Amino acid sequence: MNCYLCDSQLDLKPSWRDLFFMDPEETICITCRSGFERNGSGCRICGLAGAELCSECSYWETTEFRGAIDSGKCLYIYNQAMKEYFHQFKFLQDVVLAEVFADELAKAVRKAGAVAVPIPMNGEKLRRRTFSQVDSMLDAGKVGYIHLLQKNEEVQGEKTKEERMATRGLFMLKGNPVPKNIVLVDDMYTTGTTLRLAAKLLKESGAETVSFIALIRA
Amino acid sequence: MEALQKFLSGRIWLRDFTPFPQEEIENAIDAGFIAVQKGITEDLKCARCLEQSTEKIVSYNCAKCEAECFYCRHCIRMGRVSSCTDLITWKDPLSLTPHSHSFTWNGELTNLQQLASDELSESLRKNRSHLVYAVCGAGKTELLFPPLHKALSEGKRICIAAPRTDVVLELSPRLKAVFPDTTIHTLYGGSALEEGFAQLVLATTHQLYRFSQAFDLVVVDEADAFPYSYDPALARAVIKSLKADSPIIYVSATPSRKLLKAIPNQSKIFRRFHGHALPVPEYRSLWNYRKSFNANKIPEKLAGWVKLRLEKNEPFMLFFPTIEMIRQAEPLFKWIDNGIEAVHSKDEDRKEKVMKLRNGEIRGVLTSTILERGVTIENIQVGVVGADEEVFSASALIQMAGRAGRSSAFPNGEVIFFHNGISRQMDKARDLIISYNREGRR
Repeated sequence: MNCYLCDSQLDLKPSWRDLFFMDPEETICITCRSGFERNGSGCRICGLAGAELCSECSYWETTEFRGAIDSGKCLYIYNQAMKEYFHQFKFLQDVVLAEVFADELAKAVRKAGAVAVPIPMNGEKLRRRTFSQVDSMLDAGKVGYIHLLQKNEEVQGEKTKEERMATRGLFMLKGNPVPKNIVLVDDMYTTGTTLRLAAKLLKESGAETVSFIALIRA
Repeated sequence: MEALQKFLSGRIWLRDFTPFPQEEIENAIDAGFIAVQKGITEDLKCARCLEQSTEKIVSYNCAKCEAECFYCRHCIRMGRVSSCTDLITWKDPLSLTPHSHSFTWNGELTNLQQLASDELSESLRKNRSHLVYAVCGAGKTELLFPPLHKALSEGKRICIAAPRTDVVLELSPRLKAVFPDTTIHTLYGGSALEEGFAQLVLATTHQLYRFSQAFDLVVVDEADAFPYSYDPALARAVIKSLKADSPIIYVSATPSRKLLKAIPNQSKIFRRFHGHALPVPEYRSLWNYRKSFNANKIPEKLAGWVKLRLEKNEPFMLFFPTIEMIRQAEPLFKWIDNGIEAVHSKDEDRKEKVMKLRNGEIRGVLTSTILERGVTIENIQVGVVGADEEVFSASALIQMAGRAGRSSAFPNGEVIFFHNGISRQMDKARDLIISYNREGRR
């Protein structure tokens, strides 16, 4: 099998370990893997490396979104390698790339010890893209999840930060019962607006704790 | 409709990604001008690049067709082809009537070039494929001009395919100068859309995926390892882009043994157009150069060679086996002279840097095999660091050595193989160069 990203042949060194353990199968080579940079620890809310509470989150905590998110974690920073990966995954629609970070994402979600709820895409967009990045990663990582939310037909990406922060009613509940402890899952944390809108709605609807896991901190 | 016909003739294109409005496409389909086919065939083959390995044709749950869908990973960078995407072709491609083309070329061919050019014309007259086996700097492109002119005048549609964007970009202005009234399109990853119907298409080999039964003649430039040890999909792409029973011209300085066997009609030119011998590589040991770079030091012999080039004001190319090593070495060389630049495949300023080297704004480049061919710079001196490394095949080494001594004003450039032990490929390259020189003298 070849590396999903650079197409070079993966070293398959037979080992005793392989005989006894079912290790997750590698999908990319060591060189490509080493291009990605893990996000360090930092902000207790959004996971941005650095201060214990980042400036953006401390601003959020002065708004009506105070306490919407209890804690969060972003696994990787958005460096060049990640930009290229994400482009190939999302825009070139290379669905198998869901497998590259699936196990790590699954592990983080399981560790959160709550019901996994993916940030959804709106129906029209989903049909155009033909797959949801988040769902496909969770599927590949074999984590269970439920869709509690459904998205109204507005698109976040085309808005300015101010417009995003002013967005209301981005999500609606689908109607299934809301569990007490929820971990939201998204591909990228940019301004945090999307996740906060989702978290706030869930808390208003009965959730006691809402945390999140995102693959990338932009 | 006419613009659409011109665009789509001979092409196989993603229905949803043409430069035309959807409505126009639909009308042409309804009127029966355009044929539509599924992107992935029943037997799970990509209809565009003809890939069919299970590693590259993969399945997933598609939200658009709400079923299991297959897509092709091989040509995904040209826009994804999947079971639920349509590919379109124009049913009756435009045909050209014979007409005269201006031919503004007043160069002269050497006797050897003329002979090869005539042999090539003869093969084309008989509709046979032909191999031009000629050393670097023999003037392969020029000898193609007369046969190309004849074929264009006969109304043939022609594609010249080269493996790299750099080579395509270097050829394009030359061909446009020689055939000023011919519609020529230049296609490579990220090239701008050109209007009209091109009788002469200049493209990277990958772009051929997007053609189907389009050409009466394809010239495969730099066809070294072609079509076997190379990406086999590209060999299929060449065949797919050709109309039935049309010939292929292979051009190479280092053809594979299989290609030599497969194409019986051959012309050989083992002498450069200026009549001088090819520079023979010199071996120079550079023990543990990796260690040295790791310790942020340029090995002394190498530093000495570079300093001598700077002193004599000679431009140079220093080839490295890996991009990492180039990155490591760049700051060290910049410390010797700030006019030394690194150029590698992921470099967006590649084109500009080569131009600057040519006109003397840059004194030398540290580069990878990306610049091993297609680049001509007067009085260039060549060094290969780690010539014994696996990435440097004999043909790559011959190509790199072939950068030196190309102009008649400076026919004797230096070629140094800096090594940490002599590899078979180095010997093979040197022996071949020596044998070309011997044959060329006859």
